[in-house]
Amino acid sequence: MLASLPRDGIFSVKMKDPYEILGVKRDATADEIRAAYRKLAKQHHPDLNPGKRESEDQFKAVNAAHDLLSDPQKRARFDRGEIDASGAERPPERPFYRDFGDDAGRTKYRTEAAFDPEDIEELFGRAFRRDRGEGFKARGPDAYYGLTVGFLDAANGAVRRITLPDGRTLDVNIPAGVNDHQILRLKGQGMPGIGGAPSGDALVEITVAPHPLFRRVGNDVVLEMPVSLKEAVLGAKIEVPTIKGPVSLKVPPNSGLGTRLRLKGRGIAGGHEYVEIKVVLPHEPEPELEEFLKSWTPRHPFDPRAKTGKT
Amino acid sequence: MTQLDAVVIHFPDLEAAELSIWIERRWVEPDIDGTGNWTFREIDIARVRLIYDLRRRMDVAEDTIPLVLSLLDQLYDVRCTVKAMTQALKDLPPEVQAAVRSALKQRNMDL
Repeated sequence: MLASLPRDGIFSVKMKDPYEILGVKRDATADEIRAAYRKLAKQHHPDLNPGKRESEDQFKAVNAAHDLLSDPQKRARFDRGEIDASGAERPPERPFYRDFGDDAGRTKYRTEAAFDPEDIEELFGRAFRRDRGEGFKARGPDAYYGLTVGFLDAANGAVRRITLPDGRTLDVNIPAGVNDHQILRLKGQGMPGIGGAPSGDALVEITVAPHPLFRRVGNDVVLEMPVSLKEAVLGAKIEVPTIKGPVSLKVPPNSGLGTRLRLKGRGIAGGHEYVEIKVVLPHEPEPELEEFLKSWTPRHPFDPRAKTGKT
Repeated sequence: MTQLDAVVIHFPDLEAAELSIWIERRWVEPDIDGTGNWTFREIDIARVRLIYDLRRRMDVAEDTIPLVLSLLDQLYDVRCTVKAMTQALKDLPPEVQAAVRSALKQRNMDL
């Protein structure tokens, strides 16, 4: 009902039934009228609705209705039909706070969070760089893409082709050693510019997929390598994977948990590969080994749980 | 008659004492003239009316007023910024205005 009030409809507003304007019954108590009025005043106060021009008329209508109905004598006369709704006093014209609050030159009551005019200029300046006298030119906006690459491609470098939303394809040169979440900037591959200005850049965020064997620590690659009991005790020459393919590695005798072997320069961009030895016991029963261990007295007995504090 | 009294005379049930408390709390910030008296500009009086409406007409609790005023001040600041940007935009060439409008439309905004 109130929402459809005409912009300059103060006269027609005043002819409206005040009970209807406040949305109360004709036998409403003074408290009900006050409560309804407060609710509508909060809803329609112009200063709380700076973007709604019509709120001023709505607020005035609500005030006029309340003025009439909150005065017992006026309300009784209205109910008896002695005065109509327009008999209510016209509220004096008044400036609202919003008339000043919207003033861009306003210096009072500003919050610190407000934009500095220089910020705005900078914003516009950056978005629309103008060339003197040559008409308008603007560099195209940057475009953002995501690309997931395998661990080995990230370590060794690769070229990946991505298809853009507009159907164009883009070859992304992934440099060796690229990090997870690193952003590659491809000059001039973003949105086209205006007026012959250069295009923006394409920003490609790289996600590096994890590898089942390799783990990256800085530029080093860490790898856990299972060896048999015999290899661990006697030493062995085994083949281990690196990011550039398998190499041969000499496992020294008496290697075990905690043995970390370095393959110099086999990591990423000059880093190393570290091989962590993991001893795996035979899967099938080995009666001879069992017999030997039963009769075996270690030459250097030691308690492997000495440092756990639980012995 | 002090400036304070000259202001409260416009309000049926506002005492100078209450208004001076509002000033003390910096809800209203009139200027101070050379002799140390308050001077109210139009914007200050409009703000007194706003606080008066919040307290008397809308029954907003006293300790909620700072919250309401803070939110309103931020709202008006943002409106000023948008207004300034709209004005600045109007001074730019038509093709830029069109480009900004279509970019805004893509974000379901309108100036």
